[in-house]
Amino acid sequence: MSQVSSDWVADAEIAPPLPVVHGTSLLRRSLRLWRTRIGLALLGLIVLLAIVGPYVAPYGPSTPVGAPNSDPSGKAVLGTDYLGQDVLSRVLYGGRSILVMAVLATALGLVVGIAIGLVAAYSRNALDDTLMRGMDVIMALPSILLALVAVAIVGPHAWVIVAAIALTTVPRIARVTRGTALPIVERDFIAASEAMGVPRWRILSGELLPNCLGPLMVEASLRLTYSIALIAGLAFLGLSPNPNGANWGTMIQQNEIVLAVQPWGAAAPIIVIALLTLGTGLIGDGIARTAAGIDRARGEE
Amino acid sequence: MDGQNIITKPDQARLMTAFETLLLFNENYQLTNNGLAESVTQDSPTQYTIKLRKGIEFQNGKTLTADDVIYSFQRIGTKAYGLTGYAATATMDIAAMKKLDQYTVQLPLKTPDSTVPQTLGSYTFNVVPVGYKAYPAAQVGTGAYKLKSFTPGQQSVHERNPNYWRSGQPYFDTVTIIDYSDSTAQVNALLGGQIDAMTDLPASQVKVVQARGMGALVSKTGGWLPICMAIDIPPFDDVRVRQAMRLIVDRKGMLEQVSSGYGFIGNDLYAPFDPGYDKSLPQREQDIAQAKSLLKAAGKANLAVDLHTTDGAAGMVDTATVFANQAQAAGVKINVINDPNFYGNQYLKLAFSVDFWGTRAYLNQVQQGSLPTSPYNETHWPPKTGTGSNFESLYNQALAETDAAKRTQIMHEMQQAEYNVGGYIIPFFGGLIDGYAANVKGLKPSKGTLNLDSFGHGFRTVWFS
Amino acid sequence: MWGFILRRLLLGIVVLILVSILVFLATQALPGDPARAILGRSATPASLAALRRQLHLDQPVFTQYWTWITGLLHGNLGRSLAAQEPVSTLLAPKLVNSAVLVALAAVLSIPLSIAIGAWAAFRREKAFDQASSNLLLAAAALPEFVVGLVLVILFATTVLHVLPAVSTVPPGSRPWNDWLALVLPTLTLVIAVAPYVARIMRASMIEVLESDYVEMARLKGLPERTVLIRHALPNALGPVFQVIALNLAYLAGGIILVEVVFNYTGIGSATAEAVVNHDLPVIQALAILLAAVYVVLNLLADLATILVTPKLRTQL
Repeated sequence: MSQVSSDWVADAEIAPPLPVVHGTSLLRRSLRLWRTRIGLALLGLIVLLAIVGPYVAPYGPSTPVGAPNSDPSGKAVLGTDYLGQDVLSRVLYGGRSILVMAVLATALGLVVGIAIGLVAAYSRNALDDTLMRGMDVIMALPSILLALVAVAIVGPHAWVIVAAIALTTVPRIARVTRGTALPIVERDFIAASEAMGVPRWRILSGELLPNCLGPLMVEASLRLTYSIALIAGLAFLGLSPNPNGANWGTMIQQNEIVLAVQPWGAAAPIIVIALLTLGTGLIGDGIARTAAGIDRARGEE
Repeated sequence: MDGQNIITKPDQARLMTAFETLLLFNENYQLTNNGLAESVTQDSPTQYTIKLRKGIEFQNGKTLTADDVIYSFQRIGTKAYGLTGYAATATMDIAAMKKLDQYTVQLPLKTPDSTVPQTLGSYTFNVVPVGYKAYPAAQVGTGAYKLKSFTPGQQSVHERNPNYWRSGQPYFDTVTIIDYSDSTAQVNALLGGQIDAMTDLPASQVKVVQARGMGALVSKTGGWLPICMAIDIPPFDDVRVRQAMRLIVDRKGMLEQVSSGYGFIGNDLYAPFDPGYDKSLPQREQDIAQAKSLLKAAGKANLAVDLHTTDGAAGMVDTATVFANQAQAAGVKINVINDPNFYGNQYLKLAFSVDFWGTRAYLNQVQQGSLPTSPYNETHWPPKTGTGSNFESLYNQALAETDAAKRTQIMHEMQQAEYNVGGYIIPFFGGLIDGYAANVKGLKPSKGTLNLDSFGHGFRTVWFS
Repeated sequence: MWGFILRRLLLGIVVLILVSILVFLATQALPGDPARAILGRSATPASLAALRRQLHLDQPVFTQYWTWITGLLHGNLGRSLAAQEPVSTLLAPKLVNSAVLVALAAVLSIPLSIAIGAWAAFRREKAFDQASSNLLLAAAALPEFVVGLVLVILFATTVLHVLPAVSTVPPGSRPWNDWLALVLPTLTLVIAVAPYVARIMRASMIEVLESDYVEMARLKGLPERTVLIRHALPNALGPVFQVIALNLAYLAGGIILVEVVFNYTGIGSATAEAVVNHDLPVIQALAILLAAVYVVLNLLADLATILVTPKLRTQL
C-alpha cells in the first residue's frame, strides 16, 4: 500500500488488490489451509449451539433453578446467574438473536453495497463521484455511534439494529466492490459486451460481479465478524430487542457485577462470542491468504 | 439540598448531615427522646407540648428556640412549597401554634392524631432556623456537619461542626456524599477503596464484599418493592384481575431470586413491624389455577400488559423481570419497560408499575401512599364505591382514637379491605443491605427507613477504627 | 501540492457539514416525534408542548438546524435533559479523561505495532512472523469489550487480583490520580487497535523491502541494519501515518464500549448513558464531536502521508 489513494481509506482492513480469481474455486482452495478449517469448525460449532441449543437446554431461559450466583453444581453445570437462572441454558438460548440479526445485517449490507459499488464502477462519471461521497459521509461516523444514534431515536427494535448495521456495512462493501471492479470495467471484453448490446445489468452481474468475489468474500467475513461484535456490544449496553430474554451480550452485562463471585454467568457468553468471532476472523484470513497466493500445495503454511 | 425535602437517596444522606428532628427513632424503630426535644408530651388528644433542649446552637451560632420550631412547621405546612412532609401536617393547626416560652412550643391539632410523635421523628420533619431556604441559600441546621461544597447531582462535601451540641461527636472531619447512577460503579468503588460505604448493596455482592474483609450491613427492615396496580385504570379496575395477579406471584421464589433470600415474604400488606399489623389474615400462596379462572371470569384470559419500572432502588427491575417470568404460567404476558424517566411526568399515572418504599408505621404509610391526598399513591386507592370506600374515614377514626386496642381494630378493618381488593402486590420485604469498608465501625442493623443505619444517625455514631 | 491540500480541506469541511445535517436530521426532524419518544407513549399534551418548546421543535427545520449549528460553533451545546445542566460543563471533564486514555493507548500502541510489523516483515515467514500474525489476527477478531472483560477476569476478579476491575474517575479528580486503574482500559484499547496498524506496517514494510531502492542500498554494500533503518523504514512510514490516524479515529468509537466495561468517566460511557436516557442534546453533541474528530484525523492522515512520502510530494 505505497499508493496514497485519492479516497480515504477509512478501513485499514481493505485487502490490497487481489488477482482475479473465481469465487468458488477460491473458497475451495482456501479450505486447504488449516486456519480456514479451524475457523469453519469454530463457526459451525457456535452456529450449531445457537440453533440447536434451545432444544437441548436442560432448563428454560428464565426458570429459577437455585439461589442466585451459585457455583456450578450437579443441578446447574455452569452455576446460576444473578436471578438464579441456569447459565448453561441461557447460553444455549442466547445465540439465535445475535446470529440472526448479524447475518441479516451483513447480507443486506452486501446486497446494497455490491449494487452501489458496481454501479459506481461502471458509470465512471458524476454518479460514481456522488455515490462515493455519500459512502464517505456514512463512514465519517464510527459504526457503533451510528447504531447508537439510530437506537436512541427509534428504539432497540430488531429491524432498527439490523438496518443500522447494514448501513455501516454498505459503504465498505461498496468501496471494495468498486475498487475491484474498476480495473475490470476498463478491460476490452466489457467494451465488447457493450458493443454487442448485452444489457447493462447482465454485464454487471454476469461479468463484473464474479470477478469481485474474492475480495468481497474477505470483506464480507470481516463485516460479519464486526456485525456480531457490534450487536453483542449493543446488547451489552442494554440495547437489545428483548432485554429480558437470554442473549449473550445482555448476559454479560447482567452478570459482570458478580464476576468475582460467579464468573461463569459472564464468562460463558464471553467465551462463546470470542470463539464465534475468532471463527469468522480465521475464515476471512484464510480466504485472503489463499487469494494472495500464500496457499501451499501441502495445505499448510 | 433542602433540609425538609427529599427526592432521592443522596438527598436523604445530605439532609442527615446538617439537620435534625425533635424525636429520634432507634434501631428497633422505636421513638426516643434523643432528638432536639427534651420531651414531647400529649396534653390532650388535640394538643402536644414540645420542650426543646436548652443550649443547642445552629451552625451559624444562633441558639435553637421555639421560634425556629414554629417556622419549621410553618414551612412544611405551606402547600405551595410541596415539601415531602406536607401531607403529615393535615391534622396540625400550625397557624395556632403558640410559643409558651423561649424553649417551649404548644402544638394544637385540628383533629386528634396519634401519629404525631412518629411524624416528629420522621426525617422529613427536620428543624430549620427562622428564614431558612433551600440550596443555594446557606444550609444552616443543628446537625453534626456543615455544608462545605455542593455540586447538585454529583457530590457534596460536609465538614465537622466543632460546635455540635452532642459533645464528642461527630468523629469524622469531613463527609463526602457522591451520587452514583450505577450500582456496579458503586460496588467497585467500595471494593477499590475509593469510598468507605455505600447504600443498597445488591444481594449478589454480599459474598464478594465479605470475601474482601469488608462489611455488609443487612438490616431486616420493612422496606418493600410493591407491584402497583392502579385500581381505576383498565384492566386493573376489575377486582378479579387484581386478585388474580396477587395469586400469580410465587413469593418464596421471588424472595430467593431478587433478594437472594435476604428478608421475609409478604402478604400484600405493608408496615409489618407495626403492632397493629393484622397477622390473622391468611398468608397468600401462589395459585395459578385460581388466577386463571379469575382472569377468565373477568374476560381477560391471555392478558397482555406493560409493567413500568426503573433502576430507582435495588431489586426494582429484577422484581418486574421475575414477575413477568412467573406470569407466563398463567398465560399472562407482561412486557417489562425499564424507563429512565420513570419518575417523570407519568409517575403516579401508570396502570402497572414497580415502585419502592421504606419502613413506616401503618398509619404513617397510609398517609403517604394510600389516601387521595397522599403524595405517592400509585394504586389510586381507596375505591369510591364498595369494599374499602370508607377507608379514609376509618383512617381519620384511627388517628383520633386514643385507645390502642380500639385503634388496632380499626387498623385491622382497613387492612382487610386492602388485603381483599387493594392494588398492591407485596411479595416480600427484602430488607436493606448496605456495604462498608473494614475500618468503619459503629454501624448497626436498623429496622428504619434510611440506609446505613440512618446514615450512622447523621454520620455521628460511626467512626474509623 | 497546495492545491491538493486545499481540496482535501474543503472536502473535509463539506463532509463535516453533511454529517452535522445527518446527525441533526436523525435526531430532530425524523417523522416520529422526538418529544414523544423522550416522554414515552403516554405523554400529556401539556408536557409535549413544553418539551417541544425546549427543543425548539416548534420552529421550521432549517431554523432549528441553524440555531443548533451556530450554537455549536459558539460552544453552546445545549442542555442535558437528564442532568438539567449545560452539556459543555457536563462533558468537559469527561472529554479530558477520555483524551488521557486515548493518548495513553496511542503512545503505547503506535510504537509497539510499528515495531512488531517491521520486525515481522524483516523476518518474514519465520517463527516470529507466524506467531505474531496469528496472535494479531486473534486480537483483531475479538470484540473490544470481550477483550476488556477477559482482561478483567484474568487480572482483577477471578484469576489474579492485582488490578481494579473498575476505573471510575470521581468528580473533581483526574485520571492520573489512580494509575493502576488506567492499566486495563489502556491495555484493552491497545489490543483492540494495534493489530491493524501492525499488519499494515508489515505489508508496507514487505513491499518496501522488496523495492528497488532498498535493493540498491543492499547492492551498495550497506549493512542490513542501515538498510532497514535508514532506507526501508522511512518509506514504509507513509501509509502508516494514514493508518495511525485512522486507528486514533477508530479509538474514538472504540472507547464507547471500553469505557462502559470499566465504568470509566469519559465521553464514551457518557454516550452510552445518553442513549439509555434518551438525552438528545447530549447525543447530538457527542455524535458531532466524534464525527469531527474522525474527519480531522482523516485529513491529518492524508496530509501527513503526502508530506512524508517524497515521491508524492513532487507528483502533486
